[in-house]
Amino acid sequence: MIRNQAIRAMAALAMTAALVAACGGSTGSPPASASTPATGGSPSTPAATASTAASPSVATGYSGPEATIEYSIWGDPTELKNQQAIVDAFHAAEPKITVKVTVSDWDTYWAKLQTGLAGGAAPDVFAMDGPLFPDYAGRDVLLDLSPYIQAEGYDLSQLNELAVKDFTTADGRQLGLPRDLNVIALFYNKTLFDAAGEPYPDDTWDWAKLVEVGKKLTKDTNGDGKVDQWGLYTETTDMENYWSSLVWQNGGDILAPDGKSIVLDTPAATGGLQFLQDLIWKEKVVPEPALFAETGDAFEQGKAAMEVNGSWLVATDEAANLEFGIAPLPKGPAGRATSVNPTGAVVSKSSKSPDAAWAFVKYLASPEAQQKIMALKASLPVNTAVLTGPYAASFDGAAVLAGALDYAHLKPSFKGYDEFATTLQGELDEHVFNAPDETAAEAIAKVKDQLNQLLNQ
Amino acid sequence: MIGRARRRGPLAGESRWAWVFLAPTLLGLAVLSAGPIVAALGISLTKWDLLTPPKFVGLDNFFALVGDHRFLVALRNTAFYTATSVPLGLVLGLGLALVLNQRLRGISWIRTAYFLPVVTSTVAISLVWSWIYSPDHGPLNGVLGFFGLPAQKWISDPFWAMPAIVIMSVWQGLGTTVIIFLAGLQGIPEEYYDAASVDGAGPRARFRHVTLPLLTPSIFFTGILALIDSFLVFDQVYVLARPGKPFDATVTLVYTIYENGFQNFKMGYAAAGAWVLFIIVAALAAIYFRLQNRWVHYQ
Repeated sequence: MIRNQAIRAMAALAMTAALVAACGGSTGSPPASASTPATGGSPSTPAATASTAASPSVATGYSGPEATIEYSIWGDPTELKNQQAIVDAFHAAEPKITVKVTVSDWDTYWAKLQTGLAGGAAPDVFAMDGPLFPDYAGRDVLLDLSPYIQAEGYDLSQLNELAVKDFTTADGRQLGLPRDLNVIALFYNKTLFDAAGEPYPDDTWDWAKLVEVGKKLTKDTNGDGKVDQWGLYTETTDMENYWSSLVWQNGGDILAPDGKSIVLDTPAATGGLQFLQDLIWKEKVVPEPALFAETGDAFEQGKAAMEVNGSWLVATDEAANLEFGIAPLPKGPAGRATSVNPTGAVVSKSSKSPDAAWAFVKYLASPEAQQKIMALKASLPVNTAVLTGPYAASFDGAAVLAGALDYAHLKPSFKGYDEFATTLQGELDEHVFNAPDETAAEAIAKVKDQLNQLLNQ
Repeated sequence: MIGRARRRGPLAGESRWAWVFLAPTLLGLAVLSAGPIVAALGISLTKWDLLTPPKFVGLDNFFALVGDHRFLVALRNTAFYTATSVPLGLVLGLGLALVLNQRLRGISWIRTAYFLPVVTSTVAISLVWSWIYSPDHGPLNGVLGFFGLPAQKWISDPFWAMPAIVIMSVWQGLGTTVIIFLAGLQGIPEEYYDAASVDGAGPRARFRHVTLPLLTPSIFFTGILALIDSFLVFDQVYVLARPGKPFDATVTLVYTIYENGFQNFKMGYAAAGAWVLFIIVAALAAIYFRLQNRWVHYQ
């Protein structure tokens, strides 16, 4: 009996261990990607390079050996299809380079990338979110593209300046090129505006006008005593969707210029945050976040007359067959401001085919690839030839989005962004936006020390 | 523990064969479980962001955990989850198993139906439940409204968020519990019931003095599984807390471990959290095993 018990105890402990480990497995290391290892199609020894180095391709300037590179992106199957079209065009222009695209959802993408980089199996080229760039740039895993840029005289000024800046380190190294970008704007449902006989939003709008029209369009349409059409919908769970723009429109900012402390506790900054809380809980023109947390975008469902959100909405709202227009964000007390967030393409420092990777990154920013990005309407092109040329005329409202870049602020980007954002947003979501337990000023005062500590760790 | 004395006779070969058959499992456990567990202990003593070389920091990570608000909140939430979901799952599972332990036409179809949630992905289940819990269009609030009860915000409400997750998890896990209890029930020999009846035991007494004692091994087994599993709750909060992230009401231990390791670039700190979790689970499992001879009856 005693022995049985001991064996059972051992089995239980082993089981415990297995389950804990299995759990670590499911959350810690996502399934290995099904992609092929990122090795060159032919050995990239100097001899091989020399023998195959014929005349450089006209389209890409690549003169290396045949190579296969892996390009990782986050997104969904649609995104994969879109990027695949760009990759196919690249392969047609440069047959010596084959690009394999791998796609994962946002969370898996970063976990996979980190384990890949740690284990020396990172993709050659991968998509990089602006705010997270410093976390990777500061850890010496990205290839410095500056030598290529200098050697080839690549003209960075052909790309949007803010977007380029997001992938430049403090000491001036270029560790990536922007691929596309998103700005925040005001989307409005023409059908609902027409039904109410209200003129469409335009560039004269300010906060007061937003509240005024928002109230007129917030209605109980079926008379059950509950609001079922809101004046405005927005998302509160990330600073990018609206609140950072409100802070800037009110003359405030998020971080001090040296990035070592927050200035989000100044009255100008908290005033911007407070305006969003008031839109929800005082003016009641924005539905409280809980209402649409599970079912998603109220504007897309035709239940809100306006939405403040990113340019990625163009593609989804078109797919939802909405009759919509786009206007600049309403001006705040300190003027006009919006948020821009570029996505870039970076090269892993351990890539075995850095020349091919550079050729591909450069191609992604080229007018040819950028036209394809433009056609998807899920983001703005970064190449100014496309952005200010064909893009602005490509659909109704595109000119507003392109014009917004003139007064846009870059989404804050610094090492440790994620942890900072989780701490800050946890407080704001729970006590300011989801329920008005605290004023914006009270909430920021509560987490200020913790945030400053995170900025200095 | 296991006698090393060389035995002669027919059993000598048997123990060798036992080891041969156990080898694949043991090897798997050693390589895939014991290895990572020991490695995690090493990592927990370092400051490591996965990308640059680790720095040895001794027990700093463990000391830091003690003052980490989010970790402590996660510990509280996980304890709440375990304390509610395990007993609830066992009681409901036992009740349901008794109901399903009947000879009815089509009973095997009904039993299968209860097992379906177990083989469905938690992500899919969480998505369906996020719709059920939706404050605006959710059927749950619809039902409450029908009975004149006030609508709740469920997942968005700090008070209801964790109970809502417990309810979903209990529902999902019920199939496993029921199947084990059913097997246990069907393993109880009919003669015991006959004997009890002859001695004048009614249905209640038969349940109390025959069914329940003989089912204790099954209860013990499902209990340990549920206990361990409940401490590892992750997927449910991961999916239900979207958009945004789990906040103070729903963050769990495994979620903070994931968050520290893969979002905050603190793999050493995450490993320390994982070890604390491991110690808690191992300690509870050990206590649970110690207590078993007080209430578990093997036939």
